[in-house]
Amino acid sequence: MAYKGKRINPRKFERGQIKILLIILPLVIFMAMPIIFIINHAFKPMEELFAFPPTFFVRNATMENFTKLMKFSRTSSIPLSRYVFNSVAVTALTMGLALLLTTMAAFALAKIKFKGRNMLVNINQVAIMFVGTAVLIPRYLVICELGLIDSILAHVLPLVAVPVALFLVKQFVEQVPDSLLEAAYMDGATDFQVYRKVILPMIKPAVATASILVFQQVWTNTETSNYFINEDGMKTLTFYMNSLANANNTVAGQGMAAAASLIMFLPNLILFIILQRSVMNTMASSGIK
Amino acid sequence: MSEYVAMEDLDRKAKRARKKELKKIKPGNLERREARVGYLFMLPWIIGAAMFLAYPLGASFYYALNNIRITTMGKVFTFVGYGNFTQILLSDADFPVQLVDYILSTVISVPIIVVFALVIAMMLNQPIHGKGFFRAVFFLPVIIVSGPILSMLTEQGAGSISAIDTQAIGSAIKGVLPSIIADPISDLFENMITILWYSGVQILIFLSGLQKIDKSMYEAAKIDGGSGWECFWKITLPNLKSMILLNAVYTVVFISNNDQNAIIGLIKSSMFSGTKEKGYGYASAMAWLYALIVLILVGLFALMLTTRKGAYEKQVKRAKKAVKTEARQRKKIERRNRRNAKRIERQRARGKIITRKTDSTGY
Repeated sequence: MAYKGKRINPRKFERGQIKILLIILPLVIFMAMPIIFIINHAFKPMEELFAFPPTFFVRNATMENFTKLMKFSRTSSIPLSRYVFNSVAVTALTMGLALLLTTMAAFALAKIKFKGRNMLVNINQVAIMFVGTAVLIPRYLVICELGLIDSILAHVLPLVAVPVALFLVKQFVEQVPDSLLEAAYMDGATDFQVYRKVILPMIKPAVATASILVFQQVWTNTETSNYFINEDGMKTLTFYMNSLANANNTVAGQGMAAAASLIMFLPNLILFIILQRSVMNTMASSGIK
Repeated sequence: MSEYVAMEDLDRKAKRARKKELKKIKPGNLERREARVGYLFMLPWIIGAAMFLAYPLGASFYYALNNIRITTMGKVFTFVGYGNFTQILLSDADFPVQLVDYILSTVISVPIIVVFALVIAMMLNQPIHGKGFFRAVFFLPVIIVSGPILSMLTEQGAGSISAIDTQAIGSAIKGVLPSIIADPISDLFENMITILWYSGVQILIFLSGLQKIDKSMYEAAKIDGGSGWECFWKITLPNLKSMILLNAVYTVVFISNNDQNAIIGLIKSSMFSGTKEKGYGYASAMAWLYALIVLILVGLFALMLTTRKGAYEKQVKRAKKAVKTEARQRKKIERRNRRNAKRIERQRARGKIITRKTDSTGY
C-alpha cells in the first residue's frame, strides 16, 4: 500500500475512490439526518419549534434557547457546574473501572484455564440478554444494604459490569496468538506483565470500541439518579437536562430541551473523534509472521 | 510402577483402565497456579457481577413466582408458583400480541442491519478521502437515536425513505403474502432509515474486525489471480465469522433492550401498576418470559452462524474415512480368502476336489 502508519486518509484523491463515494454519499445523507436535526433544532426560535408542518432546517437561527437555559439554571439552588462535575466524575470513574475489569476478565476467560470458566461465560451470556428494568428493585435493595444511597458509588457500581463489552473484548483476546504469550512467559514475564504489555496493546481497537459503548451507557443513564439518589446535589447532568424537558413541559421547556440535547450530544462526538483513531490503529495486527 | 506403555499398544480393556486412571490424576502445581491466576483476574468482575447482575437476576426469578403487594408494612409476598406466567399468557391483552410482533420484526431486521453494517464497514475500510468523517457520520446516529430525539424525527417522517413509495411496496407485499408475514415487512420499509440508524456499533465492530485481517493474505490471493469478489468470499468472510456472530447477538440484544421497544414499556407500566394482580412479581414474570424469547432468538442466530469446520478439514476427514473403510474392506477380503482356503483344504482332504495337474504340454 502506498501509505503506511497511522494516517487514515490517503494523501491524494484517486479515481478508484469515485465508485465507493457514489455509494456512500447518498447513505451519508440519510445517516447524517439525526445529527443535522439535533443541531438545527437547538437553534430554532420559538415559532419554528412549534411550526406546522414541522420544519427540518432552521431559518432564523438564534441563541435564545441557550440563554434561556443558562438563565433557568442560575435561578435554581444548585449551580450547573455541580451537575457537570458529578457527571464527569461518575463517567470517568465508571469507564476506568469498567474497562479495567472487562479487560482483566476477558484475559482470564480467553487465555487462562480454570474450573468454572465455561460457567462464567454462560452467566455472562445470559446477563447480556436480560432486561435491565426487571432487576431494578433487587438492585435498589443491594444499594440500600450497602449503604450507598446518595453517594457517588451508587452511580458507578451498578454500571461497572458490562456484559456486552466483556463479550466483545473476549472475542478479541481469543484471537491473540498463544505463541506470543508463551514467548513472554519464556522471557520471565509475570501474568500481570503479560496482561499489561502483551494483551492490552494487542486488543486496543476492542478497548476503544468498548469504551465508546460504556461511555454512551453511562453518560445517557438517568436510572441511577432517578432511583438511587435522593439528594439533588448528587444527581448527574443528564438527569438535570431530562428533568428540564419533563418538568417544564410547557412552551418554554421545549426550547430548553432542544438546547440541552445538543449539549448532551457534544461529548459523545468529541470522544468518538478521539477514540476512532485508535479503533483504526491496528495495521500491524497479529505480530506473527 | 511398571514400564510405560504407549496408549496405542494397549488392548481395549487396558486402554479403558488407563483412561480412568488419567481422570483421577489431580492437576499439578503448574495447572493449579494457572487456575489461581485465572481466579485472581476474574475476582473483581465476579464480585461486581454477583452483586449487581447475578443476585438481582436470582431475586427477580423469586419475585416472578410471587404476588407482591407494597403496603405500609413493607413488601407482602404471596407465593403463587407459576400463576403469574399463566396469567400473562392466557389473560393479558397486550403481551402475547406484542411478543409475536417483536419476534417477527427482529427476525427480519437483524440480518438487514448486519449485512448493511458489513457493506458499510467494507467500504469504509477502503482508502477513500475523508474516512474519519464518514465513520463519525455512520456511528453517531446510534447515540442520538437511543434518546428522545427519535420520536421527534419519526413525527416528521424522517424514518422512511421518501424517495421510495413505501405504501405501494406495502400493498404489493400484502397482495402476495398472508398478513401475519406481510405486516412486519411493510413496517420494515416504513422504518428503513430507523433500522439503518441502529447499525452504528455494528459497523464499528466490523471495522475493528476487518483491521485484524492480514493484508498479505489478500496479496497472495491477488498473485494467484483471485478477483475482489473471490477475495471477499474466501478471505474476508471466513475471517469475520466470529464478528458476524457477535454482531447478530448484539443487534438482537440492542433491539430488545431499547427504550423504544414496546415490551419494555409494557413491563415498566405493569411494574408500577397498582392493580391487585399486577405489580412487581407480575412484571418480573414478564421480564423472564421476554428474556427466554430473546434467548431463543439469540440461540437461533448463533446456531446459524457458529463457525463450522473449514472445507479443508472436511476433505481431510473424508479422506481419512475412505482410507479406514478401504482397510476394513481389505481385511474382510483377506478373512474370506483364508476361510475359503480352509474349506477347500478340508474338501480336498475328503477327496471331493480333485486337482488335476495340467502340464503345459497338454495344450
